[in-house]
Amino acid sequence: MDSALIPKGVKRCSFGTFSVGMMILGIIVLWGFYAAALCWIKGLNQTNMNDSYGFALWIWADLAVIAIGGGAFFTGLLRYVIGLDELKNIINFAVIVGFCCYCSAMLILAIDIGQPLRGWFIFWHANVHSMLTEVAFCLSLYLCVLAIEYLPLVLENRKMDEVPFFHNLSHNMHGAMAVFAATGAFLSCFHQGSLGGVTGVLFGRPFGYREGIFVWPWTFFLYTWSAAACGPCFTMLTCKITEAISGKKLVKDNVYDLLAKISGWMIGTYIVAKIADTIYWAAVTSPSMGFSLMDYYNRHPLHHGIWILILEIVICGVVPALILISKRGRASKPLFMTAIILAVIGVCLNRWVMVMTPMAMPVMSFDSWVSYFPSWQELATTILPFAGGIMVVAMSYRYLPVFPQEKELNPVD
Amino acid sequence: MKIDRRSFLALGLGAAAGTALTPLPWKLTDDISIWTQNWRWLPVPGDGDVTMEIGACTLCPGGCGISVRKVGDRIVKIEGLPGHPVNDGGVCALGISGTQLLYGGSRIKSPMKRSGERGQNKWSPISWDDAIAEVTAQIKTLVEAGKQESLACITGSGSGTTPLLFKRLLAVLGSPNFMTTSSMADSYSAVIRKMHRLSGAVDAGFDFENTGFVLSFGSGIVEGWGSPLRMIRTANDLKTKKVSMVQVEQRLSNTAAFTQALVAVKPGMEADLALGMAAVIVAENLHNASAVGGSSSGFAEFAAMLKQQFSPDAVSAKTGLKSTAIAELARKFADPANRSLAICGRGQGSAPGSMREFMAVHALNALVGRVNTQGGVYAVQAPDYIDWAKDSSMTAAITGKIRIDEAGVGAFAHTDSLLNRLPAKILAKGDSPVGLLLVSEANPVYTLAGTKQVMEAFKKIPYIVSFSATMDETTALADIILPNHSYLERYQDIPVRAGLVKPLINLAKPVAAPQYDTQNVGDVVIKIAKALETPVADAFPWENYEDCLAKTLGDKWEPMKEKGFWTDEAFVPGAGATAFAFPAQLPDEPALAGDEKTMALVLLPKESMRLWGGAVADLPFVLKTVPDTDLKGNQVVVEVNPKTGASLGLADGKEALLTTASGSATVTVTFFEGIMEGVVAIPKGLGHTGSEKYIADKGVNTGDLIAPFEDPVSGLDAAFGTRASLKRA
Amino acid sequence: MEKETEHKPGKKYGMVIDLDKCTGCGSCMAACMAENNVPCKDDESNKLTSITWIRVYRLTNKKPFPETEICYLPKPCMHCGGVGDQGHSPCVSVCPATATDYDHGTGIVSQIYTRCFGCRYCMAACPYHARFFNWWDPIWPADLKKSLSPNVSPRMRGVVEKCSFCFHRYQLAMEKAYVEGRRDLEEVEYQTACTQACPSGAITFGDLNNPDHAVATMKDDPNAFRLLERLQTNPKVYYISSREWVRRAGDNYLKNEPTNSKPRVTAHHG
Ligand SMILES: Nc1nc2c(c(=O)[nH]1)N[C@H]1C(S)=C(S)[C@@H](COP(=O)(O)OP(=O)(O)OC[C@H]3O[C@@H](n4cnc5c(=O)[nH]c(N)nc54)[C@H](O)[C@@H]3O)O[C@H]1N2
Ligand SMILES: Nc1nc2c(c(=O)[nH]1)N[C@H]1C(S)=C(S)[C@@H](COP(=O)(O)OP(=O)(O)OC[C@H]3O[C@@H](n4cnc5c(=O)[nH]c(N)nc54)[C@H](O)[C@@H]3O)O[C@H]1N2
Ligand code: SF4
Ligand code: SF4
Ligand code: SF4
Ligand code: SF4
Ligand code: SF4
Ligand SMILES: [Mo]
Repeated sequence: MDSALIPKGVKRCSFGTFSVGMMILGIIVLWGFYAAALCWIKGLNQTNMNDSYGFALWIWADLAVIAIGGGAFFTGLLRYVIGLDELKNIINFAVIVGFCCYCSAMLILAIDIGQPLRGWFIFWHANVHSMLTEVAFCLSLYLCVLAIEYLPLVLENRKMDEVPFFHNLSHNMHGAMAVFAATGAFLSCFHQGSLGGVTGVLFGRPFGYREGIFVWPWTFFLYTWSAAACGPCFTMLTCKITEAISGKKLVKDNVYDLLAKISGWMIGTYIVAKIADTIYWAAVTSPSMGFSLMDYYNRHPLHHGIWILILEIVICGVVPALILISKRGRASKPLFMTAIILAVIGVCLNRWVMVMTPMAMPVMSFDSWVSYFPSWQELATTILPFAGGIMVVAMSYRYLPVFPQEKELNPVD
Repeated sequence: MKIDRRSFLALGLGAAAGTALTPLPWKLTDDISIWTQNWRWLPVPGDGDVTMEIGACTLCPGGCGISVRKVGDRIVKIEGLPGHPVNDGGVCALGISGTQLLYGGSRIKSPMKRSGERGQNKWSPISWDDAIAEVTAQIKTLVEAGKQESLACITGSGSGTTPLLFKRLLAVLGSPNFMTTSSMADSYSAVIRKMHRLSGAVDAGFDFENTGFVLSFGSGIVEGWGSPLRMIRTANDLKTKKVSMVQVEQRLSNTAAFTQALVAVKPGMEADLALGMAAVIVAENLHNASAVGGSSSGFAEFAAMLKQQFSPDAVSAKTGLKSTAIAELARKFADPANRSLAICGRGQGSAPGSMREFMAVHALNALVGRVNTQGGVYAVQAPDYIDWAKDSSMTAAITGKIRIDEAGVGAFAHTDSLLNRLPAKILAKGDSPVGLLLVSEANPVYTLAGTKQVMEAFKKIPYIVSFSATMDETTALADIILPNHSYLERYQDIPVRAGLVKPLINLAKPVAAPQYDTQNVGDVVIKIAKALETPVADAFPWENYEDCLAKTLGDKWEPMKEKGFWTDEAFVPGAGATAFAFPAQLPDEPALAGDEKTMALVLLPKESMRLWGGAVADLPFVLKTVPDTDLKGNQVVVEVNPKTGASLGLADGKEALLTTASGSATVTVTFFEGIMEGVVAIPKGLGHTGSEKYIADKGVNTGDLIAPFEDPVSGLDAAFGTRASLKRA
Repeated sequence: MEKETEHKPGKKYGMVIDLDKCTGCGSCMAACMAENNVPCKDDESNKLTSITWIRVYRLTNKKPFPETEICYLPKPCMHCGGVGDQGHSPCVSVCPATATDYDHGTGIVSQIYTRCFGCRYCMAACPYHARFFNWWDPIWPADLKKSLSPNVSPRMRGVVEKCSFCFHRYQLAMEKAYVEGRRDLEEVEYQTACTQACPSGAITFGDLNNPDHAVATMKDDPNAFRLLERLQTNPKVYYISSREWVRRAGDNYLKNEPTNSKPRVTAHHG
């Protein structure tokens, strides 16, 4: 019944099946908005945060989605600025996924602040010294860029495209896309970095604090690099999932291979830097503040044990790097999947640790560790944007020509 | 015209762009931010002229002067009164929170008559005239039936015009049953009367300011003992002067933490330590010759008893201390150069305690000549300025009459009042010996040990009149309430009898207009007396309470209204040694209730400046300072040594069932290194019921768990703890 | 405003708290609540959501009974000046909306409730847990509202609050001084509520830069220390303790590292 909207020459599941899926996701989204409404109306007492855990699940979710959403800017950079042409076959999808990620971050932030209606003070009374100010500006600007990158794709919808105005608009925007992509890449480098700065500048929190150069702590660069490295893995992962669900091949292997190879080298270089940073921090910075490495990890071995560090750096860092760098690793489907999944987990875990441990850990010697488990409202509002994201991706796939290679790979006779 | 899709969209986009350019969105965002700053439900403190007024705090016997900050007619802050002899500007958490009593949820807003069952807390408001008429009628019927002795009264303090008006009312009606809530001060009075052969209103006065070595047998020097602020200030001066202070206790109380010198004696063995030290002093001839000779008596017998019953080994075994340590402490205490002072009365001294202990400690002071001397303990007369109280023609009606509590005669000749003996008397077979009870500034149902029994007893009293300003446990059982002003709305003279040496009288003043339909209890008593006509009325020749106060205080009245207090600057204490009688024998240690086998632990109450166990419940600000190692949620937290906890299979921060001979309660356990093994410490001051949601129904009243123990000499409650068991819940 | 003050030889208000005197009585906490309109909830036993601008901590030497020792440590906001008192406080430097501000004229770190939008970044930045979030709407039952002081505005739900060194008292004292044509304050003219209430006289408050003020000399006591000095937060609250274990507890040290080991990092980002 919606066939008029579906791109020519491609096959889609029945409207019935589609709407059932949408319905299920819709219910999750409504549940999330109910929880959000509770937080807005009754206040943040609806969460399990407290004066020690002022940052918690939500801030982690923000950092994580923006990291994995980094596939958009980096793929864009490679495609439009560096000029790797094959990537045009996955760039649309990367943009859509990135767009969803950044919308999620914005939504969660809007719930997370105690006075949402004053949220705009961050622009109005901006404090240039604050990493969060930098994040706010770059984040919102880049979201606009993503919207602009997404728009022409929407306009290419069969019905929309019939409007000459839209047809021309999208055509011209395509032409200018390189400019936006460059701007996006520039903005991203900054807000990904300033997100790293958020904990990196906390000289009151020895676990998160890092030295650096000029106004930038090392985490500034590590966050940008890790987002660029692991973001594409998330793009590829979601792309693979879409292929699995639609039961079609949508992107040619050489595209995956190219992106994976670049990711591999990025992760490799990142993890070397990360290891160097960890060693310097553990051996030089932290001891000068009175903390030995194990002071952070042996108090609560279960929640904050050294195992997290090993998991993050070795299993979710070194391993995927080696797999993706090696031709055989990329060629083997199971190894390839393992690698991109580990890479995504790795970057999320890094953000998790950087948010949670500094909150849980007492800095005053006579203070105590604090434990925290999110309330259902926090969980629901965190799941909400993921469900929403899936809906957007699904609809885009159904109604927009997202994958240039789809027709060729799946001819319908 | 026909709108096609294109022009429609163009129109839409145009409109959107248009509005964006108008001031509308900016106006809206601005309004939004202002709105979020001015939420309707956020109170706006009114402004007004700022004035400071002098008053007196009555929330504990400490006798602090307060300076009240007012904005217009609202009291916004209570601070300490600079220059006041007790607190000189300092103030405790409870005192600061007085505004939350004045404006708090527990205030009684008008006279009320019980309309439901006793304790059901159902009330119907009545007029003051009706209330006073009703109480007068009740008294009349009692008197006409010849049952005037069954008229009883309980007040918080025994001195000052307000309590004495009650005492006078009872006396002229022919009832001797004027009772007051007891504390360590009563034990000290009893000891002084007994050992110095004195009578009347005598107190122990402690000259801390000039002492050189303080030996405290469990007294919470910085935790509210005596006059809390005076003690804390003095203890700090002593510390600065490097005066050593030693705390004898079973746990690292805040006082022990402050003195940084703890002598960990077994529970209840304080007296034995004192006597063991005395034994050493006598054996080594370190005692003060003139103190034991001269007008003193009984030293030979005392010395013999020490030699016989308190050998170093015996004492070491009982106290759990090395005999060398005891001897050392004894020598240090006896050294005249140290100008030592020994004190007792556990914690805040809110419970009287055993005469064995008080006599032993006082004898220890006497032995080395530290009684009635600078830096020692003095026998001081309470401020004596109320001459109408001495008018014997008024007390003729009760001469020779035996009180219900049998205080002041025979075995208990040295005590004025034995409230703790009342419940048993009431519950004895037959009618309640109390037919009509007047309660003012006291909350016996909460403060008396053995709450269950006390409750039953009070329920058996036919008619209870409460004059309380706030709804408390006792008032909840009343038949009629004639609410007093709060201490910030009324005049009241407060003679401070909390271990001071210099006489001091504070004056509470109406710094705020009455918030509700209440009356100064002094006025109410006078009105009742006048309503009872001759001869009663004749005993109350004053127009009203203020008139009574002015006439009573005479030339002190105006200066006191000005300064907030009166003190005799020139006063020099206890010149000349009073006769001292050394005891030939001492009463036994109070037995701990409970079976030693099934209840291997000893439960001790702990008191602090953040949690008050007296008649006044913690106010919201004070309660907020209570650590989560005393109260967690609505559950009381008890303290045990980690070793004890482990041996009982308990976990830190987890629930357990605390059981004593009197009852049991679910508690949370906290492990604390600074407490003796086998001892459980439970915070005093919780387990309140009533209308103040901040404190109501949190934790347990230690009175539910610790049964009273009648001291054979004073008749006062001497229980200091009880046996207990602690089992994983 | 900053320009005006920056060039003046700045006042630098601070506290010296003598831990040998502190009895843990809690007057300072109650005095602060009463002075600054701090609201009370029915249950305040969860100290992680209980607003107490000054909190008295209990430190122990962790030795077994009877060698155990306790030290009480009252902890207001440290009014950190950051390296060289340039106002780079952990919290001020991160607040995206400039809702908390370092005043170069007084060294006081203020909090503008009406501007704070509740992101709690400052709380994440403060190593002293000196900041408190209004998780709930403040509630004063009917008549309790009468006890509210007009000098300090009640805070709305969703914003952060903290010790202000009773800044409104400074403002009132300054107004009085200006009227009398003075630009400086006597020590007694500006004292904080907690200082005044303390029965032990454990808290001394004044201008650390003014030799006539007691704190100026007290802070140089050989037994004086500050909390977490190695982090370079540069607090304006000093503590004095005659006990070495207490002074050591004031900061973090590696095993066998001597107390008072100095920091390495001497400048901070941004
Ligand atoms: N602890 C501490 N205290 C401070 C300060 C601090 O930094 N720390 N800052 C001081 C400073 S700088 C300032 S400006 C003040 C701010 O204190 P205020 O001047 O009180 O500022 P607001 O909090 O904006 O306003 C207080 C209340 O006024 C009410 N209100 C707003 N508009 C109206 C109106 O039109 N009519 C009526 N009747 N009520 C209204 C609002 O409900 C709000 O709760 O606080 C001072 N007090
Ligand atoms: N969004 C929003 N913004 C607001 C408001 C609002 O309601 N909403 N309220 C406004 C209002 S009412 C006020 S008063 C301001 C408060 O905001 P500011 O004007 O920034 O005032 P505060 O920082 O609250 O405290 C006063 C400031 O001046 C400093 N200061 C104190 N004494 C002196 C002095 O003698 N000389 C100098 N030079 N500085 C001094 C303090 O340390 C502090 O930095 O916020 C204004 N900003
Ligand atoms: S010590 Fe007693 S008298 Fe003094 S302020 Fe506290 S409660 Fe009032
Ligand atoms: S008021 Fe003084 S003594 Fe009491 S806790 Fe505070 S600082 Fe310590
Ligand atoms: S103590 Fe915390 S809140 Fe206070 S100035 Fe320092 S960092 Fe900021
Ligand atoms: S919570 Fe308020 S004060 Fe703290 S950083 Fe955010 S905006 Fe600034
Ligand atoms: S200085 Fe003022 S605001 Fe800070 S803790 Fe003391 S009383 Fe509270
Ligand atoms: Mo203001």
